[in-house]
Order: sequence, then structure tokens, then C-alpha cells
Amino acid sequence: MKTCILAATVAIAPSLASAQDLVTRNRVGLPDAPNTLTFRLTSYDLYSSDPATREAFEALFSDFISDRPDWKIETQLQTGNIGQEQARLLQQTQAGRGPDCAMIDSSQLALFKDTGVLQPMNAVFSEDEVADLFPYVREAVTDANGNVLAWWWFTDLRVLYRDTSVVPEAPQTWDAVQSAALAAVEDGREGILFNAGRWEGTAFDWLANFWAQGGELLDEDGAVVFDQGDNREAFLNAVAYYKDLVESGAAPQRVTSITDYDAFNAAAAAGTAAMFVGGNWQYGQLRTTLPEEAFANWEVSELPGPTPDQRATGTGGWTIAALSDDPEKAALCGEIAKDIYAGPGNAAQGLLPTSAAIYDRYDTYDGTEYDLFAKALENGVARPGAAIYPEISNQIQILLGDVLSGSAEPEAALDAAAEAVRAAQSRQ
Amino acid sequence: MTAAAERGPGQGHPAPWLVPAVVVLALFYAVPVLDVFRLALSDATLIQTADGVSTAALRSILTDPALPQVLGTTLVFVAVNVVALQVIGLVIALTIVRGERRGLPGMAAFRTLVLAAWVVPGIANGLIWGMLFDEAPYGTLNSLLGFAGLGPVAWLSDPQMALVSAVIANLWQGTAFSMIVFYAARRGIDPVLYEVAELDAAGPWRTFRSITLPLMTTAIAVNSVLVSVQTLNTFDSILALTGGGPGRATEVLALFTFNTVFYNLDLAGGSVLAVMLFAIAMALALLIGWLGRPRGPA
Repeated sequence: MKTCILAATVAIAPSLASAQDLVTRNRVGLPDAPNTLTFRLTSYDLYSSDPATREAFEALFSDFISDRPDWKIETQLQTGNIGQEQARLLQQTQAGRGPDCAMIDSSQLALFKDTGVLQPMNAVFSEDEVADLFPYVREAVTDANGNVLAWWWFTDLRVLYRDTSVVPEAPQTWDAVQSAALAAVEDGREGILFNAGRWEGTAFDWLANFWAQGGELLDEDGAVVFDQGDNREAFLNAVAYYKDLVESGAAPQRVTSITDYDAFNAAAAAGTAAMFVGGNWQYGQLRTTLPEEAFANWEVSELPGPTPDQRATGTGGWTIAALSDDPEKAALCGEIAKDIYAGPGNAAQGLLPTSAAIYDRYDTYDGTEYDLFAKALENGVARPGAAIYPEISNQIQILLGDVLSGSAEPEAALDAAAEAVRAAQSRQ
Repeated sequence: MTAAAERGPGQGHPAPWLVPAVVVLALFYAVPVLDVFRLALSDATLIQTADGVSTAALRSILTDPALPQVLGTTLVFVAVNVVALQVIGLVIALTIVRGERRGLPGMAAFRTLVLAAWVVPGIANGLIWGMLFDEAPYGTLNSLLGFAGLGPVAWLSDPQMALVSAVIANLWQGTAFSMIVFYAARRGIDPVLYEVAELDAAGPWRTFRSITLPLMTTAIAVNSVLVSVQTLNTFDSILALTGGGPGRATEVLALFTFNTVFYNLDLAGGSVLAVMLFAIAMALALLIGWLGRPRGPA
């Protein structure tokens, strides 16, 4: 009876209340709904500072909860400090104090899988839907038994941005990048910018150069191998690429202080940079930031490799996973991922879906840049699914900072990094 | 009326008055500190609870090749900050007192301006200075230097300069605290002493050396302890400003502790470092307290 009353209440909700009434700062649904799901999410969608994004997600959440009148979703916001937030989420979940459903950064997904806190959402996703995921995504979200432990709802990748008025042709190799950047410097521009400060973006963006040569950070058993054999050579080659860019003046020394992708947007807006290594999402940001004629000069291309045939790009993004062992809550969590985020949520923000079918379903992805992104994703590499990855990233950040600022030689820095990672791994 | 009712608060046994403070301190300070000691002697990680007693974390941290560099950076950061905070805080406090004595307008505004920096959160402080130190062609400080025909300066990308920049950011924020302490201490000195000095035709330097400085010794000692501990624990502004980079150039002990817990997931190792921070802060406090102790006539 109570459910019927609630259903009737929600059914007439549009005439009584707007979407905003169903969506508050910490709740979606009616406050007296009998069932509650706690959902920890980032601040980039439902609570986005961008009004258009926020309104789109408010509508999606309102429709979703209207179809489920006996549920309310209590929302919990994560801050932007991903490492700290995700560590706290894991701790709380292990202590039985975590949310029922949460957004987990793709870089941390393996850690959550390893600790066994993720609950299957098999009832929500069909075999065909799982099969349609990009291979690296499918591998990350399923376990050995084929259980769907999370839904990776959008992915991203790194690409090379260039101002075509300065660099008309997309460089395909590292040497071509350096030549083009040096020519741009002669024109009074900063040749190429990339992250090289002390943060995750530095390691992840740079790793594409290592992966392009077939380099591996860990072997199949999870042992650290990036300093051994062919991996060592690939690692040092990739370090030398960045080192040569800085030492030749193709990249300014200040790259070792860049710890934010926004720095590239700012440089593009100021017209001071000729190229930068950025994320695919920055294309939309440039479109809204730059004057139309200035934006027309900017194009994206696949990250160059040591040879035109050796390419890779780091792929990230966010997943949604059930942390509650209540099957109903796990299913609802999966439905949030499927009905709100993967598909309509992607299209609302122009974020890259993780399955091919969604690209065909929405007009958003008709732009030529999405053809390039889709092609580059074929060479996508995700972070290794291991708890030691954050420390590997930390050591790569230190290594690049030391080498590019002239404080250390690549070989010695690599040995120090590998030793530190092994010591940390032995403690985990 | 009974004798007990007539007794003042200071005349009875102190225990009843002390119990609430002791309980609060024990609950919110001693227990967490003891827990950190327990974790330091365990194998706890962020993904695995402690399983027995172990000295592995202690050995691992003490033999970490990065530790000497981190301690060296911390030593430089704390030493420069503590000395500079004292000197600049004292200069500003004495300037304000002198200005007030002479009835100069704007002293209250000046005091407020200095205090404004103090209320800025550490992360915001790091972000503000990050924008000022931006080395892009349009960076604020470098653009200003450019107008004067100077620079550009590699504020954050040069390892040595990055540490200087971190010190500047910390000084900007921390000076207000020293200023408040010294301002209060200076205002507490009996004005008659200065009038006598004036009658004796003592110059400003002699007055400062023979009256101001000796009578502010206790304040200087207390302030030294407080700013030392405060600076030793600084990590938020550095995290936002440089993240500890380039490389490890600005990675101080508190930030190293944070990274050990949240990158390595090493809760036991982080606890060892936290205990180390605690021990250094305690040793500094005792040393400064001993150096600044009141001395009787020889």
C-alpha cells in the first residue's frame, strides 16, 4: 500500500514539483521512500558547477527515480583528491561503513577487485553488452569467472594538440615532434608542453611513450620488470625523448612545474603554445574557451611514437561499482551505471563511451574528432591492474622531475625508482 | 554557611578541575598518538589491517634511500622559516607598535592586512602562490619582473628555486602568527622603561638590545617552539604548490608521510614517519625551551 501511495506521489510529481525537488544536495527521490541506496559520486555530473551538465543529470536522475518510487538515493560527494578519496572509500568499505554504490577511478579499480569488496552486477548487464565493451575495459571490469564487478562508463585518452597555424602537419614520430617544436620556438612560441610536475598526470601521459615500444611495468605475476631487459631500454628511450625535448629547448624547462591540464588550455588561450599533450576532454574545453577563429586552428592527432607504427595512449575514466552485498542494491547500482551514465550521461558531457554501440546511438559523436579518438583508442593502454601502480606512478614523477631538471641521470634514476617500487611492493 | 562553601576555586584539591581537561586530552590526543605508535610497530597497510607486531616498517623507513634527502629538505625548510618568521614577525610587530605610538594612520589596517594571510587555508595558499609563480610567458611575477627588465625566474621548475618559493609561500602565511605573539609581548612591556631609556638618551638600537629583546625572551622562546612545530607539520601548501617536486626537491617530512600512506598504501610506514615527526617536534620544543629558559643573575 505504502509503495502504491509513493508510486502515485511520484507519478504526479511533475505537476507538483520540478526535477530539482527530487534532486537535492544529498538525495535523489522522495525523503520518505522506504528503501535507500547510498551512492558516492564525483562532482562532475549531478553536482557539476556547469549548469548545463547539472541540469542534464538532474533530469536523468529524476526520470530514473520516478521509475523506482520505493527507492531514494542518498548521495555523497567525493573531493577531487582521487588517491586520498579512493583510499578512504576502500578503508570504509572494508570496515563496513562504505556506501552501497560508488564511483571508482579506473586507475584504482584493480585495488578494489583485489580486496574483494566489489559485488557482482551480473543481473543488469547482458553478455552482448559486456562483449561490446572495448577489450581493455572488459578485462578490467570482469573477473576470471565472468562476473561484472564494475561498469566503466566513460573512458579518456591522451592526444597531441597542435596549433595548425604554426604546426600544419601532425607529427607522427618523436623526432618530428622535436623538429616541429623547435621551429615553433623560432616563431616565438613554446614548442610543446606536457605534464612533468609531481602528479599522476605526469606519469600517465609519459607512460604512453613507454607502452608504444611494447614496454611493460609488471609481468604476469605482478613483479616489477620496467627496469629489466627490453623494458629497461624502452623506459630509457622514453625518458630520453622528454629529456631531449627540454634540453634542446623544444619544450620549456617549466614543464617540470606543470601539474594540471588547465595550464595547456591557458597557454592555448594566450596563444603562447604550439603543441601540447592533453586529454581528449580538452577539445570541448578549447571549443568553449577560445574565440571561434582561434579554435579553428587547433587540431588533435594521435600521440607520436618512436616510429609511425609504434603508438600508444593512456586510457583512464571512471567506473561505477556495487559495494553492498544486498543483491537489490547491487542491481540498482548497476542500473544507475547503465541507464544514467553509460549512454545518456556520456552524450550529455561528450565523454567517450566504452562500447562501440553507444557511439552510433548519439549525434554527439558525429564530430570528426571522435573518429580520431576512436582510432587512437585502438592503441589504448590502461594502467596496470595492481595495487603497486600508485607507487610506480609516484616514482616515475620523481624520476622525470629529477632528470628533466638536471638533478639526476636517467640510468641511476631508473635504478632508484625500481628499487623504491620493489621495497614498497614488499611492504604491501 | 560552611567552610567548604567559602573556599575559593584555587584553595581545594586541583583534581576536580583538571579531570575534564585530562579526559579531553586523553580522548582526542593521547589515544590517537598511542594508536600511531601501535601502527608503527605493525604491518598495517591501507588495504590490510594490522596482523601482529612487526618492526619491518621501522627498518624499511630507516633504510629508505629517499629519507636523508627528505630530512635534509625538511631541515632547510624549517630552519630558514623559523629564523625568517621570527625576524620578519618581530620587525612588523615593532613597526606597528612604533607607528601606533606615533599615531600614524593605517596601523590597524596594516595589522589586519598581515593577519588576512594567516586565515588563508594552506591549500589555498599553495594555489595562490602557484598562480603568482607560474612560469608561463604570462605568469604574474615573471611578467612584473619583465617590466623591470629582470627575470624570468624558474620559480618552480628549478629544484633549488622551488624550495625558496615554498619558503616564501610559507613565510607569507606564517608571519602573521609571529607578529601577533610579538605584538602582544611588546605591548606588555611597561612603557615607563622606555621613558627612562629616553631620559637617559639611549638610542633605538640600545633600547631594543637592553629593554625590548631581554623582556621578550620568553615570547621569542614560545614563538620559536610554536612556529617550529607548525613549519615541521606543513605539507598542504607545498602539496598544492609543487606536490613535492620537481623530483623530491620540496618533499618535506610531513608530505613524505602523506605520500607513504596514500601512494604506497603503507599505513605502518606512514606511522613510523609520523612518530619521527612527533619525536623531532618534541626534541625541538625541549631544546628551544631549554635555550630560552629564564636565567638568574650570575
